[in-house]
Amino acid sequence: MHLGTPWGLEVILYLFLAGMGAGTITASASMLLRGGGGDGQYFSIARYGALVGPFPVVIGTVLLIFELGRPFRALNLYKVINLSPMSLGSWFLAFFIIISIIYALLFLPWPQWKGKRLSAWRRRLAWVCVPSGLSVAIYTGVLLGAMPSRPFWNSPIIAMLFMISAISTGMALIIFTRALFYKVHLDVPTEERSWHGSGYVLAATDVLLIGFELLVLFLLLMFAHLTVGSVKYAVEIILPGGELAVFFWVGVVLLGLVIPGIIEMFFVAPKLLYGGHYTAPRSIDIVVPLAVMVGGYLLRYVIVMAGQLTGPVGL
Amino acid sequence: MKEQDKTPDDRRGFVMALGGAIATAFAAIGSIILPGSAAASLLDDEDENDSEKVGVKVQYGMVIDVRRCIGCHACTVACKSEFDVPPGVNRSWVEYTEKGQYPNVGRSFLPRLCNHCSEPLCVDVCPTNATYRREQDGIIAVDHGVCIACKYCMHACPYDARFLDPVNEWVDKCDFCIHRVSKGLAPSCVNTCVGGARIFGNLADPDSAVSMLIASNRVSVLRSEMGTFPNVYYIDADFTDEVDRRRPEVREVRVITHRRHKERT
Ligand code: SF4
Ligand code: SF4
Ligand code: SF4
Repeated sequence: MHLGTPWGLEVILYLFLAGMGAGTITASASMLLRGGGGDGQYFSIARYGALVGPFPVVIGTVLLIFELGRPFRALNLYKVINLSPMSLGSWFLAFFIIISIIYALLFLPWPQWKGKRLSAWRRRLAWVCVPSGLSVAIYTGVLLGAMPSRPFWNSPIIAMLFMISAISTGMALIIFTRALFYKVHLDVPTEERSWHGSGYVLAATDVLLIGFELLVLFLLLMFAHLTVGSVKYAVEIILPGGELAVFFWVGVVLLGLVIPGIIEMFFVAPKLLYGGHYTAPRSIDIVVPLAVMVGGYLLRYVIVMAGQLTGPVGL
Repeated sequence: MKEQDKTPDDRRGFVMALGGAIATAFAAIGSIILPGSAAASLLDDEDENDSEKVGVKVQYGMVIDVRRCIGCHACTVACKSEFDVPPGVNRSWVEYTEKGQYPNVGRSFLPRLCNHCSEPLCVDVCPTNATYRREQDGIIAVDHGVCIACKYCMHACPYDARFLDPVNEWVDKCDFCIHRVSKGLAPSCVNTCVGGARIFGNLADPDSAVSMLIASNRVSVLRSEMGTFPNVYYIDADFTDEVDRRRPEVREVRVITHRRHKERT
């Protein structure tokens, strides 16, 4: 489907899925390193992230390859390397897919390997996963930002926005899978403590990322509004009255950021402020991440469409 | 031929040929190490009269004298039939701009095509090098066999000169009729232009018709603020755009691009 623009839903979905997958792996790897690589609450988070992370990236990439019309042509990307963000990005992506799959495999049970060796390899891979995941998350934004002919995109802050959104949706995916699959006996005190302990780490990080994302969006809007010329006209498309305003304000800002942020804050605040107890019901751990992920998709949709529907002003 | 049979002349010829080969090799290395223009100017300094052999820089370009354009679309049609361009897309097209309110109204024509820019963003973003600048004549071309139809270049071009070929699923645009100009013919649109509004030639040659027109007229290029340095120049073009509706003295603007589904973007 093309929506009459060069880049249609497949590309938008790809940008979202690749970002989310890269964010998931990055979050998983940094959690693993934060926890020192051993067992414990960080390890269980890292494990969920590692096992789901590769799926969105691979699905998104397959979608993108089929969008090209003739899938095998995509191989031409790997016959050269140049400074085009898309060329560099494709190489990053290929590298990242391989690395993230190996990383995920290391979290499966390997009875013939001794535990020590396995966790040492996990740590090594995690050191590679963080930078390569970040580069995939950032390149999707650099890709859009590179061109003065698209004033809506032509700003360094789009890459920052996409990176934060990638990690935030990645965290959401981890919370979501964990809530779906974790078999926890909340009546056993040790299990209850580690379940809510890791839940707190995830939710607190997510709140922080949501805050940053709102800040970046604010900067984007403010600077676009303060300037004159093409950028100012371009940003009108998401300001009240614009064609994409409803998607942006209701979908991205309210549903994807403000509401999940407030709900998570509600559960995080007691522990954050006065060392209280963090308890969030499983249903919250399912609904809130879903909202964050839908918001993350709508963010890609709004940004990609707004950039294509607007252009430089005058001839 | 044995060594002793060679006449001194032969030998000199051989030495000179060898010298020539070495010079060419140095030039080649120079052009790799030094940025293109610097290497070229070094060669020019060394041997001015020989410039034909090392290749004078050719930069093809076009001047569109809008005063002579009657908006007949002969150029559009010639281009369509030259390349069998599928319906709905155009390599070259003509836009009409209507402005003002009755009885103070104006209408102007704006023939359009790829500008074959000197700083082409479409080349910079192409991940496969399918879009490239031909060193020999400055034409920006697309290698259809390499293009993966990622459409990145369509975003990068500030002039909307590129399109996805709906039949072949590659990206295409005007190529200044490489097959014609390499045989010394004018591009098809220039060849057919009834008003003589399109003039084609080598901008690097100061005595070419295009260079002289540019020197002696007030010319402009499209969206010069984009920094792409277009090689298609306009004489007396009206750059009124839909955004100028906001101006009180213009009020009404209608732009007809003659391209399917398209506003001017
Ligand atoms: S007009 Fe567009 S397609 Fe043509 S060379 Fe310039 S940037 Fe590239
Ligand atoms: S669509 Fe083709 S020519 Fe354009 S950037 Fe992609 S590969 Fe290059
Ligand atoms: S053929 Fe010549 S006169 Fe006719 S529309 Fe084209 S540029 Fe204008």
